[in-house]
Amino acid sequence: MIDEYYRPKTLTEALEILQKKAPAAKILAGGTSLRKWRGQNLAVVDLQGLGLDQIESRQTDIVLGAMVTLDQLARLATISNALRKAIELQATFNQRQLATIAGSLVAADGQSTLATAMLALNARFRLFPSQNELTYGEVLAFGNEAIMGQIITEVVIPTQVQLAFEYVGRTPADLPLVCVALARWNSGRIRLALGGWGKAPLLVLDGSGREAAPLAARSAYSQAGDEWASAAYRAEMAALLAKRCLDELDHSTV
Amino acid sequence: MEIKLRINQIDFPLSVSPSDTLLKVLRGLGFYGVKEGCDNGECGVCAVLLDGKPVNSCQVLAAQAEGHLIETIEHLGEHPQQGWKSGAGLHPIQQAFLESGAIQCGYCTPAQVLAAKALLEKNPNPSEAEVRQALSGVLCRCTGYLKPVQAVLRAAAYLRGEQLPPIQFGIEESAISVSLPPIEEGLHPPEPNNLPGAATKVMPKVVLSSYSKTYQTVGKPEVKVDAMKLVQGKPAFTADFEMSGMLYAKVLRSPLAHARIKHIDTSRARALPGVAAVLTWQDLPRVAYSTAGQSHPIPGPLDTFSLDNKVRFVGDRVAFVAAESEELAERALNMIEVEYEPLPVLLDSEQAMQPQAVRIHDEPEYVNFGDSDPSRNLAAHIHIDIGDVEKGFAEADYIVEGDYEVPKVQQAHLEPHVALSYWDEDDRLVIRTSTQVPFHARRQLAPVLGLPIKRIRVIKPRIGGGFGGKQEVLIEDVVAHLTIATGRPVFYQMTREEEFIASRSRHPMRIHMKTGVKKDGTITANAMRVLTDTGAYGCHALTVTGNTGHKAMALYVGDGPYRKSPNIQFHADIVYTNHPPAGAYRGYGVPQGFWPVERHMEKIARQLHLDPLEFRLKNALRAGELHPFSTAWSEGREPRPEIIATNGLEECVRQGRAAIGWDQKYGNAEWHQVEDKAYLRRGIGVALVMQGTAIPYLDMGGASIKMNDDGSFNLLIGATDLGTGSDTVLAQMAAEVLGVPVEDILVYSSDTDFTPFDKGAYASSTTYISGAAVVKAAQQVAERIRQRAARLFNQQGENLPVVTAEELTLQDRQVITPDGRSISLEEIALHAIHQEDQEQIMGVASFFSPVSPPPFAAQFAEVTVDIETGMVVVDRLVMAVDGGVIVNPLTASGQIEGGMTQALGYAISEEMVYDEQGRARERDLRQYHILQAHEMPELETIFIETVEPSHPFGVKAVAEIPMDGVAPAVGNAVLDACGVNIDANPITPEKLWRALRSQKQGREV
Repeated sequence: MIDEYYRPKTLTEALEILQKKAPAAKILAGGTSLRKWRGQNLAVVDLQGLGLDQIESRQTDIVLGAMVTLDQLARLATISNALRKAIELQATFNQRQLATIAGSLVAADGQSTLATAMLALNARFRLFPSQNELTYGEVLAFGNEAIMGQIITEVVIPTQVQLAFEYVGRTPADLPLVCVALARWNSGRIRLALGGWGKAPLLVLDGSGREAAPLAARSAYSQAGDEWASAAYRAEMAALLAKRCLDELDHSTV
Repeated sequence: MEIKLRINQIDFPLSVSPSDTLLKVLRGLGFYGVKEGCDNGECGVCAVLLDGKPVNSCQVLAAQAEGHLIETIEHLGEHPQQGWKSGAGLHPIQQAFLESGAIQCGYCTPAQVLAAKALLEKNPNPSEAEVRQALSGVLCRCTGYLKPVQAVLRAAAYLRGEQLPPIQFGIEESAISVSLPPIEEGLHPPEPNNLPGAATKVMPKVVLSSYSKTYQTVGKPEVKVDAMKLVQGKPAFTADFEMSGMLYAKVLRSPLAHARIKHIDTSRARALPGVAAVLTWQDLPRVAYSTAGQSHPIPGPLDTFSLDNKVRFVGDRVAFVAAESEELAERALNMIEVEYEPLPVLLDSEQAMQPQAVRIHDEPEYVNFGDSDPSRNLAAHIHIDIGDVEKGFAEADYIVEGDYEVPKVQQAHLEPHVALSYWDEDDRLVIRTSTQVPFHARRQLAPVLGLPIKRIRVIKPRIGGGFGGKQEVLIEDVVAHLTIATGRPVFYQMTREEEFIASRSRHPMRIHMKTGVKKDGTITANAMRVLTDTGAYGCHALTVTGNTGHKAMALYVGDGPYRKSPNIQFHADIVYTNHPPAGAYRGYGVPQGFWPVERHMEKIARQLHLDPLEFRLKNALRAGELHPFSTAWSEGREPRPEIIATNGLEECVRQGRAAIGWDQKYGNAEWHQVEDKAYLRRGIGVALVMQGTAIPYLDMGGASIKMNDDGSFNLLIGATDLGTGSDTVLAQMAAEVLGVPVEDILVYSSDTDFTPFDKGAYASSTTYISGAAVVKAAQQVAERIRQRAARLFNQQGENLPVVTAEELTLQDRQVITPDGRSISLEEIALHAIHQEDQEQIMGVASFFSPVSPPPFAAQFAEVTVDIETGMVVVDRLVMAVDGGVIVNPLTASGQIEGGMTQALGYAISEEMVYDEQGRARERDLRQYHILQAHEMPELETIFIETVEPSHPFGVKAVAEIPMDGVAPAVGNAVLDACGVNIDANPITPEKLWRALRSQKQGREV
């Protein structure tokens, strides 16, 4: 039950409202995850009036305002097809019109294709008021405690990175049983993330050892069984898709 | 809080709760074109445009929408004729949807139209892929998306200013105007010609027989009679009606799969202000009934109570609440304290009949039907011997056996179960409900409510899809009990989660096949043994599984002497478990039968190195032969022999194999490879299927037609159009007989007070049964018209030839003499009603049939298999169907396309899985994935017309048969692609991966 609704005009005002204890205040991003708040007495702080829906290119980054929608991002010509695919699998066309980049990442579970891709890309959150940057991996590692009392204002994606994304599901647009995102920097650094299982996507490799990627993927998902797929299957798929991602980047001309 | 919303260019100052969604507020303001399907942003039927973008209004807070431009379907077009006021007419997108046959139940149509508008405003010339992407946020369970996609492309052409020919003059017209067109061989479907607008590819190919006739209206792609209101989003569905003082119902559901209710304390809930009633089993009379909406007597056990002191599945009913708002009712549910005594949980159907198994139905009121035996958890039992299978097996050169399994799946109609009840001014209980069976509902509810039938009136408005899920008296008793308890109108709509945990589903089955076959491919005997899990209650238990044998095991009788005396055995045990109950789902047991039969036939053909098509046709039932099951079983009633009068199966195979390019692909190693993708393999597969058309000697439909002053006609039917277009085809048949355009037939269905009885929408019966009733009633009316016209013609002058009624024809709204004189129907009507020997020209008739003429079909599938992941992508489905004469090729092909799409889910993705405590894995439309517009294979429909002699226009049926063949055809295509048999559908990636791995390990060994 949402008892109070606020649409602040400044970040400072938003932050003040978020300090409310009763009812507890939550940030309303796109609103596509409203359902999970059912049964709670809440105040919501709608950030739509703060101008956080802009997209900028800054040096080697794309800087996305926290309220940039997934549709805005998917239409961006400068993103890779791999990221576009991850976005399209994340939410339906209608959902993408509302769902925001920051909201989707904060609310993501292990089946989130977008979160898997962003984890591989080592996306960063910029926070207000601290102006600190946290990587998405850090937020996943430390939970929402890491951003408690702050507002995500920007999500930053590096551009000088190649991304490959592979997926297995029952149909071409179904939830992933396993998905793999692999980002590779010009330096040879690779980051490999797995999705399709658990509470959050997993980062399984961050380094230069490309040969280790399939093995790391298999190992990371060796216990990843649930009612949708066995651990044995997920582990094999994680390794296979990691290899396909590597092959794809090897053959990529970009 | 106070807000101001700008909706359709008008400002609405509003007082709302911060938690109110835009969906709730819009519907509260009367924008009923915004539908509710899941309340979780998954289905998209609640979509509106927010600043020109399609968003799900259930995911937007009303307050969040302030400052934005909101547009609903009500802001688009309107009926072009508004009396003295000139109307703007429909929006071009609405017009295109209407013309293209893109509307079936219409529940998702407003959202699809708005999604199209958003696309076309940005992109006036979209590709098909872009259209599919734009529509992908709105689920449709009826159409398979083909026609909506084509409608958007057509609308785009309209909006670009292009002149478009009517659909019926498009490229497919030539296909329906010739007898047997040359078959186009090749790898690709025919390309459209270059006529502007002709590329609206919504018309199927129709292959006429030499017996086919040309009619004025029958056989034409008439626009659906309900399309105009549906495309405007008019308040036509149950939830679109509200009453002052209306209460909202909620149902407390069991968290346990099997338990006795030791104690319920409702005091806190009852004390909550705004709560009008809380009912438990202690408050209601204890009446055993069946929820299966079927004719009297119900062919199944009476094993259900509105509320009981025992729960038998997770989601079973515990208590009913009625309150002033849904939120209050929900809060009241949480205040009901229930003490359960858990009982052992029985989930494995194999264990159900074991001596140590817990007994699920121990209530003394249980009423048996047939062989049901609750002491053994047996809901129904069937054993049928046709011929002598043991003799047949002894005569065989080979015996092939196999075990198969089919899952529990959901109808997933986008309009949930929904009902509203109230006492009328005559103290009669009125129930407005989204049901396929209004007359059965009235009859079956009467004892449950303690009311005589005559004091209950059931009204069926438009239905947002049913697919068998609403052939169930599932929630009408909830609202009725609460109206009786409170004296007030009560409304109840199931949530999407309730749909998954507490409505009905397709029966899961385990099947063993044993087939005897000679070296030349002659089947000598065929046996099927089935174990069906009916879940906690036995609704449709006997009849669904009976159909599994009756249809699927009837197709292959064998060749030579076996044609006259086939050897077939069918044995089935239908058992209770603590799963949610299964029930009716489009296909009604037959898809469960054709998965094993057609997978098995494929294996036999391959083992014997026989051509799979020739092997099947060699053994398949033919015209002139006895339906083998007709003398053995008839849904629990006395069976009577039926001869198959028409069978277009060979032509179905001929046309289908050409359309999909079978001869170029099957056995072509090169085609099976995918260039640059060593891990992909293509495959092609087929399944032949048959269904039934109505239940012989049982299903009855009535129709009433009356003539109005202007020569138009009211057609009143009890038949229930659940989106299929049955109102339209019934109107077409009436129009044909009466010589008027369809627009002169005003269809009303259905209301138990005003329309004649009809058994309802199931068993593929409406076009055939109700249609024949309509024809008979129309013939009566036509005869009255002719009689009066003859009299008027003979009063015209002594020098004119005398005419008799028999000589007159009805055409173009006129009665015409052989010498060309005419009188308009309006003149006849005015004369009859106002001028001389006044009478109401009208006709009432009913029809039932001694036969159930089967439609036949050849289903083809083409797939690409990833042999490393096990992921199957279905690329193409082609279905060639003998459904008799096709009354409306547009609506009929819509049935095939939508059916194939549902069946595709059965093939590759849909299933309902439970944990060891009986808790459902699938509880929403995210987990229960329904195919979206942008992930669909190419669909193609071909109609092979035969003329069924038992119907005045020669129709059979098309509604259910598309459910039957897709899964086995896909299974066979997967086998063709990678050499692996999957015997339990759906063919999920892990299942196939394991089979591929076993195959690989076997090779290595």
